[in-house]
Amino acid sequence: MSHIHLPDGVLPVWLWVSGLVVTILIGAFLFRSFKKERVPKRLPLLGMMAAVMVLGASVEIVPIAYHINLTVISGILLGPSLIFQATLVVNVILALFGHGGITVIGLNTLTLSIEGILGYFLFRIFWRIFKRLTPTVFLATFLALLVSTVSMIGVVSLGTSHYEELIHQEDPQGVFEFKLSKEKSDQPGKGSKKDEVNLKRFMAIILPLSFIGWILEGVITTFIVRYIHRLRPDLLRLDGEAT
Amino acid sequence: MIQLSYLDYSAVEGKSRLHRCSATVKLIGMALVLFGIVALRNIPGLLFLYAILLGLFFLSRIPLKIFSLTFYPLTFAVLFIFLSGFRVYFILLLFLKVLCGSTGVVLLLATTPYPLVFRILGKFLPSLFVTALFLTYRSVFILLKVLEETEHALHLRGGLQWRHPWRSLTNISNAFGHLLLKGIDNSEKMHQSMMLRGFKNRIHFRGE
Repeated sequence: MSHIHLPDGVLPVWLWVSGLVVTILIGAFLFRSFKKERVPKRLPLLGMMAAVMVLGASVEIVPIAYHINLTVISGILLGPSLIFQATLVVNVILALFGHGGITVIGLNTLTLSIEGILGYFLFRIFWRIFKRLTPTVFLATFLALLVSTVSMIGVVSLGTSHYEELIHQEDPQGVFEFKLSKEKSDQPGKGSKKDEVNLKRFMAIILPLSFIGWILEGVITTFIVRYIHRLRPDLLRLDGEAT
Repeated sequence: MIQLSYLDYSAVEGKSRLHRCSATVKLIGMALVLFGIVALRNIPGLLFLYAILLGLFFLSRIPLKIFSLTFYPLTFAVLFIFLSGFRVYFILLLFLKVLCGSTGVVLLLATTPYPLVFRILGKFLPSLFVTALFLTYRSVFILLKVLEETEHALHLRGGLQWRHPWRSLTNISNAFGHLLLKGIDNSEKMHQSMMLRGFKNRIHFRGE
């Protein structure tokens, strides 16, 4: 749910351009920081894990419009640097399949990578506290999803004035309107009311649905990690061992 | 996800004019569609754009199974109508933008083989990133086969039953765990074969 399933053209230009710029800067830095000799080993791993995330995103739980992300488990396995690059690749591929807009790739990458990076660190912290896999993985996944969903709602709320403009487009102002500035100019139409964009109602729908999703993904991620722990415990690096 | 293989098949085997058109032209067309989606703020304009895309879709004789892919993002767009106070105009605007975007990208990928798309992207994106995109795209198809086989095995052995939700959930999670481990194993095999073939941090794509 931390994915911004918004089409292109709904978020204000300044917002998605900022998201793209920040993502490009972080992505360029991380891709440049790849040690050349390690590239042939890390790229296939990145590709495979990104593919697992893409497939996870394709399993949708229709009644609550939720799909599992597998970002937290990928974050735990890949580490914070590689998970950012994996989420960037995942968002580009998903956008190419028509799943999410192209212009929101940057914002989607930022919110989704928060989930993976936070999941990785919370997993390490909770492991030191609990020393048991089930509470560690469940809490890490639940909290990572909570934070990324809140950040997604934060991103959506930044475009409030823009949605108001879109809602009041019934008053014709020409075929094209393209603004790069953050400021809102004229009020479009006399009858416009600021309270028409209802973020509280949006949150009242999103949060309970997401809550079910966080629980579900928390349980699924816990089972996955327990499965991996049984077969390949070295991948989890629980004792600080290198894989 | 099953439609992805149709998407690939359509891109390679299609013989329409749009299939034969240069990938660069189609990418420029997609950029124009994107500009239209961002800049258009009225229903007639977006309807016109959608009608053009639909026309191109059916003229290109793309399998109808793929068309359902374009509706997928609507499931999530529904959530955003709660922002608007259920204003019909906003809902229509939102849905048309969703449909134009998804139809545009699906049309692009259903008429253009993905190595050609990545080859053009490689001209202005870092080669490592484009290589990662290419490997991910290939890996999706490799893992899709693993997922289908696992799903089939689970189904045949009664592993997925709504009467036993907890057991089904455990089995679905184990299937994803299996997928992750297979993915890691495959990445190691891929690494070895790339080294064997003299991989130098870049994949070269053949010309159009």
